[in-house]
Amino acid sequence: MRVHIVREPADRQSRDLLEHNYRLRHKVFVERQGWEALRRPDGRDVDDFDNEDATHILITDGKDVVGGSRITPLDRPNLLQTVFYGLVQEDLPADPSLGADWTRFYVRPDRREGRRRAPESAALFCSVMEYALREGFSYITFVSSIYMLEHGTAVGWRITPLGRPQSIDGKPTLAAWIEVSEDALDNVRRATGMRQALISGQGHFSAIGNSLIP
Amino acid sequence: MNADLMSTIENVQRESSASGILDLLYAAIDQYGFQKFIISGLPDRGMDVRPFVLLSGWDDEWYERYTSLGYVHLDPVARHCFGTTLPFDWSDAPYDQEADLPARRVMEEARDFGMDQGLCVPIHMEGGMQGVVSLVGKTEHLDDKSRLELHMLALYVHGRLRFINANDPNGAPRRAITRREAEILKWVASGKTANEIAGITGLTARTINQHCENAQKRLGTNNRLHTVVEAIRHKLITL
Repeated sequence: MRVHIVREPADRQSRDLLEHNYRLRHKVFVERQGWEALRRPDGRDVDDFDNEDATHILITDGKDVVGGSRITPLDRPNLLQTVFYGLVQEDLPADPSLGADWTRFYVRPDRREGRRRAPESAALFCSVMEYALREGFSYITFVSSIYMLEHGTAVGWRITPLGRPQSIDGKPTLAAWIEVSEDALDNVRRATGMRQALISGQGHFSAIGNSLIP
Repeated sequence: MNADLMSTIENVQRESSASGILDLLYAAIDQYGFQKFIISGLPDRGMDVRPFVLLSGWDDEWYERYTSLGYVHLDPVARHCFGTTLPFDWSDAPYDQEADLPARRVMEEARDFGMDQGLCVPIHMEGGMQGVVSLVGKTEHLDDKSRLELHMLALYVHGRLRFINANDPNGAPRRAITRREAEILKWVASGKTANEIAGITGLTARTINQHCENAQKRLGTNNRLHTVVEAIRHKLITL
């Protein structure tokens, strides 16, 4: 598996990855999770925030995209402060320029089946924290079902709610922020067994699992 | 947000020992009228629950009885966790009171131990693993807001305990076996008898058997085959 950091304007290879990503997102968020507001006739989930401000963290296995996430700076238009504004009652922990919004986290559904822990999900958790640290963010916001509180806390992340959970489509959903720190990266790496950096110095990609380091 | 809950959440995430979590949780659930609790993973059918228990705030006597008699597999509350993602009252856990006598026995015995009502929070972990935070106490006074707060608290506490357990060198051996035991289980997995393994390792057959039994206790398994299967499943040995 490899981690790719993709931004617009994308080169040819990244363009293909992004297209693959948009189609998978439609499959996951619309067709499986029933997020009807995102449905599009072309079967691609693309919204107003898939613009030049967004960074896509994509996991590939061979040529296939198997998981992804989107990171949007909080001092630019973002999902949290528009669509999900109603979930936020508390102040952000610091100036918006120091935070990023983590959205569209997914693992390709067939990669989840029958496995105790999807390495794709572990790689995304590690990559997101690594990326946030590298970019100098001090917190990451997200909106998700409240089960993320358990999953995030279990990898040693400090998570603070931004408001009361509300039921959306029958699922208790909340907005919260994750503290970005060296400890948080260290903890998630230990909890997932991913010991090394996943994002290379140049910021493009690196291999997972088949490294030459013993 | 409820300021007490926010500070409890903060404290839970700072806590680095299971005993610290125990104290925090007793104090927090007392605010909602609950007295006792248990936090555990739920094992597959037939397996011992003890290696899965993250933290027990039950009376010792009931804990012993419940865990040693395999009640987790009969208990309708524990079973219902596999069928729902939302918290539920114990009294809403479905079972056939006429036909399912073992389930009824567990519910009745729990009542005799003063545990006739409670709130159960199922925990769904990645990869389909199932856990539970179960609180003992009356539930009829709870409003939706309190239920949601208890749900959040349960998720935080369960996650934090998983983190503490994975990082505590003394806590980790719930799932761990010694290097020697792993080596011997690998030979067992390849079909060798205790005598043959003794010949290979230079230990006595008695010692080999002892190692196997120790591994069995650590993993909460029922026999040698079961021990090998669990050791492989949890990647404690590779073939």
